Amino acid sequence: MKIRTKIMLGFLILVGMLAIAGSISVYELKKIGSSVQSLLDDNYRSINAAKDMIEALEREDSGMLLLLSGKWKEGRDTIQSANKNFIQALEIAENNLTVKGEKAFVEQIQEDYKKYRKMWDQPIVGTIYENNLNWYLEDVHEAFKEVKASVQKLMSVNDKVMYETASGLKNRAHQAIMPGIIAILSALVFALLFNFFVNIYFVNPILSITHSIDDFLSSNKPVSLKVNTKDELADLAHSVSELVALVKLDRKKAKS
Amino acid sequence: MRLEIVIRYTGFVLLFNSLFLFISALISLISGDSAFVPLLFSAVVAVLIGVFPIIFVPPVENIQNDEGLMIVVSGWLFSFLIGTLPYIIWGGPFTFTNAWFESVSGFTTTGSSILTNIEALPMGILVWRSFTHWIGGIGIVVFMLAVALPSGQVAMILYRNEISSLAVENFQYRTKKTLQILLVVYFGLTVLETICLILAGMNFFEATTHSFATVATGGFSCRNNSIAYFNSPLIEIIIIVFMILSGIHFGLIFVAITDNFKKIWYSPIVRYYIGAMIVGIILVSASIWNDIYKSFWDSVRFAAFQIISVGTSTGFATADTNIWPGFSKLILIFFSLQCACAGSTSGGIKVDRILILWKSFTTQIFKMKHPKAVVTSKLGGTVIESALMEASVLYIVLYLCVVLTGSLILTLTGVDTMSAFSGTVAAMGNVGPGFGQVSSLSNFNMLPDAAKWVLSIVMLLGRLEIFGLMMFLFYRVIR
Repeated sequence: MKIRTKIMLGFLILVGMLAIAGSISVYELKKIGSSVQSLLDDNYRSINAAKDMIEALEREDSGMLLLLSGKWKEGRDTIQSANKNFIQALEIAENNLTVKGEKAFVEQIQEDYKKYRKMWDQPIVGTIYENNLNWYLEDVHEAFKEVKASVQKLMSVNDKVMYETASGLKNRAHQAIMPGIIAILSALVFALLFNFFVNIYFVNPILSITHSIDDFLSSNKPVSLKVNTKDELADLAHSVSELVALVKLDRKKAKS
Repeated sequence: MRLEIVIRYTGFVLLFNSLFLFISALISLISGDSAFVPLLFSAVVAVLIGVFPIIFVPPVENIQNDEGLMIVVSGWLFSFLIGTLPYIIWGGPFTFTNAWFESVSGFTTTGSSILTNIEALPMGILVWRSFTHWIGGIGIVVFMLAVALPSGQVAMILYRNEISSLAVENFQYRTKKTLQILLVVYFGLTVLETICLILAGMNFFEATTHSFATVATGGFSCRNNSIAYFNSPLIEIIIIVFMILSGIHFGLIFVAITDNFKKIWYSPIVRYYIGAMIVGIILVSASIWNDIYKSFWDSVRFAAFQIISVGTSTGFATADTNIWPGFSKLILIFFSLQCACAGSTSGGIKVDRILILWKSFTTQIFKMKHPKAVVTSKLGGTVIESALMEASVLYIVLYLCVVLTGSLILTLTGVDTMSAFSGTVAAMGNVGPGFGQVSSLSNFNMLPDAAKWVLSIVMLLGRLEIFGLMMFLFYRVIR
């Protein structure tokens, strides 16, 4: 193999390794990017919706207490505005079913909320329910707790998946970094090996040829050129040997 | 010594490893697990680093003995490094120390693991883990020579430096024929065991990985509870048979199959090897019967499996030996020190040396009675040279020194005495499990990083039978 080919192959190996390491890092980083996006799109949106639902439920519960105490207008306004927010948040959750089994949780919320809604949809002020704390504690608050628990279940399933995805992201980041680190370390090993081989197979033979020629010219020592490779250096050694032979012949002729 | 020649042949070793990394990557791709990229990248790195010196360094007709030794040791060290790559790239429980420990334990066929949940690993990583056993089983360089490199003076020098010095004495064939025998027996046992395990109820993946671990006397299982997971006496019997076979000199197995099966029994080494294990099983069964297991057959079943597993340096487990009485533990430690026959894939002091030590002892007693007598010691009709006797005794002394030193260093890192001693014995014999923190159904994860590094060095010392690594490390001083 010729020196040019050897050097080129050496560099190609180095370039190949860096290119592969770079490609893997880019691939993994892209995957991290898309995972982060899906994390935000899928889980974070559902978690936010669940938080809004809980907030709305709390406000509906306050509205219910206002109604019980006979404050019809304030109570109705509070409940209607909270109901609007709850429905909006529930719609977001309905349209963002990304986790396995999430649909069942949403359906459970719908069912529980329907039961809860029946409590405050009926007239309260001026009826037997006004100031009826027993009714509130036994029926209304229990229904409220059931809806809240269903919403919390939806939130926790999304939380869990978000945690798992985030843990996966940590591993992906690790997998994106490691090839780069290994490629750098390998490049260092390559550089050392390359330097070693260049010294042994290129520099040393050239030095040896130079010394031999110097010795021949200065003290007419016989030229011994040992090159183990079959490349341009072997050709050079061969040519030098021929040249030395010619010079010797010329010197002999000149002497005679 | 020509360093470039050492680098060239180390390159071949890396290329050989890359072949198995590519196979693991392919399996990972097919199973669709997360190990594909780590395995593929590691394979590519191994190819590129392996090819590089082959491009530059021209082939040679012959190598010197010290070059052969350096090639073997550097081949092992670079295999450990390349073996570490898939683990650290994949991540999970693999820090650099853990990945290195798992790689060294795999290649040296020790079978000690840092993994607390093996079943959570992707299939590709589990396959690579098993491959490290299988490649290391008959020796990385020997395997490579048998499969890839042409025979000749280079092969002979490498072979003599890789294989146990006792086994070299025992093989009566030329290098090429010996390598062929090793390969045929190794492949044959692996295929046969895989078929038997599948018939016994394992799936293909489990059967293959367990065959690799058995024939290489390694001990890595793809199950958290090792062989105990299967709770099948049939599977245990199959593994017991193949563990025993893998602990016998491969040349003897070859002769037994191709010539006369009875010839195996003619060998005093095999007779002692089997006899010692039978005695061990009887003693341990008696010791654990009633105390640990109410049923006599359960005692025999678990004692037989553990004695043979440890006595062949495999390290599989069907029972938690940590709860066994001290007497049983000491017998198991004796078998961890002795292990099986030279010329097999087993580690430890080896049965052959124990017998030579015994002969040396009886000869010495005889000489004391008859000071002027000319005594020749024989083993199975073969005269034991005094040089071999001295070398064997020296090896046993050095072996025990390493065990004691290793245990001392381990206790310095905070490991308790029992775990330190049994762990070092297990690492030196390439057995795997010890007692205490590192018992048969436990793992090495709890040990401090420094202890893991010490044990990795001990594993390599045991695999290269001390002198190899010593000469590599102190080359200049020795020269």
